This record gives sequence, structure tokens and C-alpha cells, in this order.
Amino acid sequence: MAAHADDRISNASMENLTRQVEKRPISTIVFIVAMQKEAQPLIERLRLVKDVNSPFPKEVAWVLFKGIYKELNINIVCPGKDSALGVDSVCTVPASLVTYASIQALQPDLIINAGTAGGFKAKGASICDVYIVSSSAFHDRRIPVPVLDLYGVGMRKAFPTPNLIKELNLKVGRLSTGDSMDMSPHDKESITANDATVKDMEGAAVAYVADIFKVPTILIKGVTDIVDGNRPTSEEFLENLAAVTAKLDESITKVIDFISGKCLSDL
Amino acid sequence: MGPHGDGDMEKVESESHRPISTVVFVIAMQAEAQPLVNKFGLSETSDSPLGKGLPWVLYQGLHKDLRIYVVCPGKDAALGIDSVGTVPASLITFASIQALQPDILINAGTCGAFKVKGANIGDVFLVSDVVFHDRRIPIPMFDLYGVGLRQAFSTPNLLKELNLKIGRLSTGDSLDMSTQDESLIISNDATLKDMEGAAVAYVAELLKVPVIFLKAVTDLIDGDKPAAEEFLQNLAMVTSALEETATKVINFIHGKTLSDL
Repeated sequence: MAAHADDRISNASMENLTRQVEKRPISTIVFIVAMQKEAQPLIERLRLVKDVNSPFPKEVAWVLFKGIYKELNINIVCPGKDSALGVDSVCTVPASLVTYASIQALQPDLIINAGTAGGFKAKGASICDVYIVSSSAFHDRRIPVPVLDLYGVGMRKAFPTPNLIKELNLKVGRLSTGDSMDMSPHDKESITANDATVKDMEGAAVAYVADIFKVPTILIKGVTDIVDGNRPTSEEFLENLAAVTAKLDESITKVIDFISGKCLSDL
Repeated sequence: MGPHGDGDMEKVESESHRPISTVVFVIAMQAEAQPLVNKFGLSETSDSPLGKGLPWVLYQGLHKDLRIYVVCPGKDAALGIDSVGTVPASLITFASIQALQPDILINAGTCGAFKVKGANIGDVFLVSDVVFHDRRIPIPMFDLYGVGLRQAFSTPNLLKELNLKIGRLSTGDSLDMSTQDESLIISNDATLKDMEGAAVAYVAELLKVPVIFLKAVTDLIDGDKPAAEEFLQNLAMVTSALEETATKVINFIHGKTLSDL
């Protein structure tokens, strides 16, 4: 990247800026949710309305639901249905695109990636658990070249929320992200190396994009299936989706209630 | 593809009868882009049309009356290496379509290839269509979505005139290839393997921009050497071959409409 004097902010002023931002009450939150089903109870509960003047390009199926709740501007963005196949546009690429577009259009103080995930019972996860993610990483980007290997894994800490975790008595665990719903032996090796408790298909990508723009990010995951259990993931996932979504909605509402009126540094 | 109103259809048709005026190359690695940037004397943009404070790099220049852009995801802020893979590629494709409104996108770069499918190191392939091999979702319809098969913009005249080899490209975020990846790549009948193509195709289709792919072979997947080793060894020679072909493509495109390709 070319060096431009006016683009460069000194370390000291960056720290200052960050401190200032963290001391203002949070005002705009963007939820990135891969499947609208995962967000529906929350959309209804908070009485969010679909934005017909979408800030996104007219060609895309991305949906924005918005509203004001306890003085917070709440936005829920979903990548929507694939135009050819009619299924939700899951996986890392659509999630990163909507994260990028939402940051540009909505300028959130905080991004929350909420959704369902597989959990590892060996790490203490059970179906219907709701986790706050401590850090996220990819397990399906294996690049066996020095430094590129770390880049592939892309481990990132979530924005620290010790008070939120304590107050709501939430479980905490590492998240591992990959574009597959199943788990190959190679994936398993990487997931183990990532020391993950929960496994999803978007989180680390949302974290990556948010990090480029330095937007604080929290990830909340509801466990629909036990990865190291006996049953096939897709079966368990479909079976438990409704119940876990309801549980997720409950937890997210408590999170929003906690956030209302607080600054980033209070979290 | 979503339904077009009559207005949209007319727009698409009329656009394909104007000569191509703006070409955007989407290139993952600086090393892959540099020979082309040098050849056409492109310069790094100073006014950040893609946005400020981003690691993405944009080069621009004019060749006869063709506006040429080369966009790269740039160096990872924390680790200093090229931001390879599907996520950065999709972001820069999206941002450059929004900002630059290309008539055509060209995803150019290096790839692995199967010698059993007729590939040699240094070959530069045109791509027929593209799939993902590392998005396995075993639920009906989601499985097809994961694979994400998409056609490149059809360019029969370009293919013939430049006498290029052509093959299916399979994309995944790993440089290596697990047995799982391998069996999917083979069952998808791919000749070439890269780390960005199918993601660029996805975004191009989303925003209805024609896209073609030029992929230069750095390593033979069904050969003896490990991919990473062969790739690093052959990178310089192959990127030079890539630039030569890209130059021929630019010269072929100049003065033509999309339907002439």
C-alpha cells in the first residue's frame, strides 16, 4: 500500500481515538446472521422492520432488518437466499461480503455474529448451550508455508466482554470456522489444534473483515449438534434448529439489554 | 440469476454491443501482478477509490483507449504476506465492481494442475467453468450451493485466436490437498486447482459482471513434488508466462464488444 502522510495515524493518536470511542455509549449494532431462520425470533421480538430502501446493491439478495430498541440502533443483516438454488447463502464468502457492506453502509460501533454451531462434548458443550466466543480461527485454510500458515488459520480474539460474560453467566469457548458442514480428518486435526469448543461456517470470516476496519466484534453461537457425538451433523442440526434458535433469541435479548446504555469498555 | 425487468435486459444487451472500455484484473498475489503492472506501466492509485485505510492495492492505466485496473488484496496487516484465499478475493471483487464498474473482470493467477488432464508447468489456461471443492454441505440443494458451479463468460474467439488450453477450475482455501479435497476435485472433473477463482465467479455473478479466468500452472498436482515446493520454485517463470498471455488477451479485447469475444 502506498504511504500517504494524511492516511497514517500515529500510534499515540490511534490509542487516543480508540479510548475515546470506547467511552461513548454504544449506539449502532449490526448483527450478521447467516440464515434468516436463526434471526427470525429476534426480528419479531424487537419488532424490527425490513428495510425496503436497502443500502445494498439492487442485484443482491442481502436483507436488512432494522429498528430502535432501548435507544440502540439494531440492524440484522442476512445474506439471503441464493438466487439459483433458493437456499440461505451460508459460508464464509457471503458472510464476509455482507459484513463489509454493512460496515460501509451502517458504520456500527459493534458487530455481533450470531448463529448456530456444532459443539464438542469433549470440551463441555451440550445441545442448546449458548457460547460467547473468546477467539475464532479457520480450520480449512491449510497453507504449509511459513507465515502463510498462520494467515490461513487467521486466529483473532473477539472483543473482550468480561462483564457481559459474568453478568449473564455465559459459557465461553474458542470457535473454529470452515466452509463445510461435515468434518474431514484434516479438518478435525486443525480444529483440535485450534482448541475449539464450537464449530461454525462464518465466524472467523466476519472477524477478519471487522478487523480490517477495526470494528469491535462479538460472536454468539448456539449449539445445534454434537460434533464428536454419534449422530450425523446435518440430521442433528435440522432437528434442533428451531429449539436452539429460540434459546439463541433469549440469550441475545439479554445481551442487548446488557449492552444498552453502556460503552465498549463497560462490556 | 434473478429475474430481469425489460429495462435490465435491454441494458445487458446494449452493453454487449459497446466496445469494452474498462477491464479489471483481480489478482491475489503481488508477485503475480507485478509483471503485468510493469508491462502496461500501470500506477498505484493515490485517491483510494476502494476506500481508505485498506490493505487492498489498486493499479490503473490506459492502454490505447482501454482503461485497465489491477486490484490485489495486498499484504495482511498483522502478518505481512499476500492476502490469498476466497474471502479477500471476494471482497476486492465486490469493491472494485462497485467503484470501477468494469465491463469485464479477469481473474488472473497461478494454479496447480493435473498432468493426467494434459497440463504442463508454465501452461496458461482459460477456464471453462469453476467449482469449490472445500464447501461440503450434505443437505439436498445446500450441497449444490456449496459446490457453486459457475460458467466463465464464454469467449470462443479469444480461445481460438490465442490457442489457449481450456479446463475446469476447482477452488479451495488450502494450498495442500487432503484426500477429501482430492476425491472431490477428481469427481468434479477439474483440470486446475486454485485458491480464489470460484469466489470471484460468485461475486461477479451476484453483480452480473462477465468474468474470465487466466490460470498459469506452477505445480503438477499428480506429480511427485509437494505443491508448496514446486509453486515457490516455478513462481517467477510462470508469472512471466502469465503476463505474456494477459497482454495478448488485452490486445485481443481492445476495440471489441463482449459478444465479439
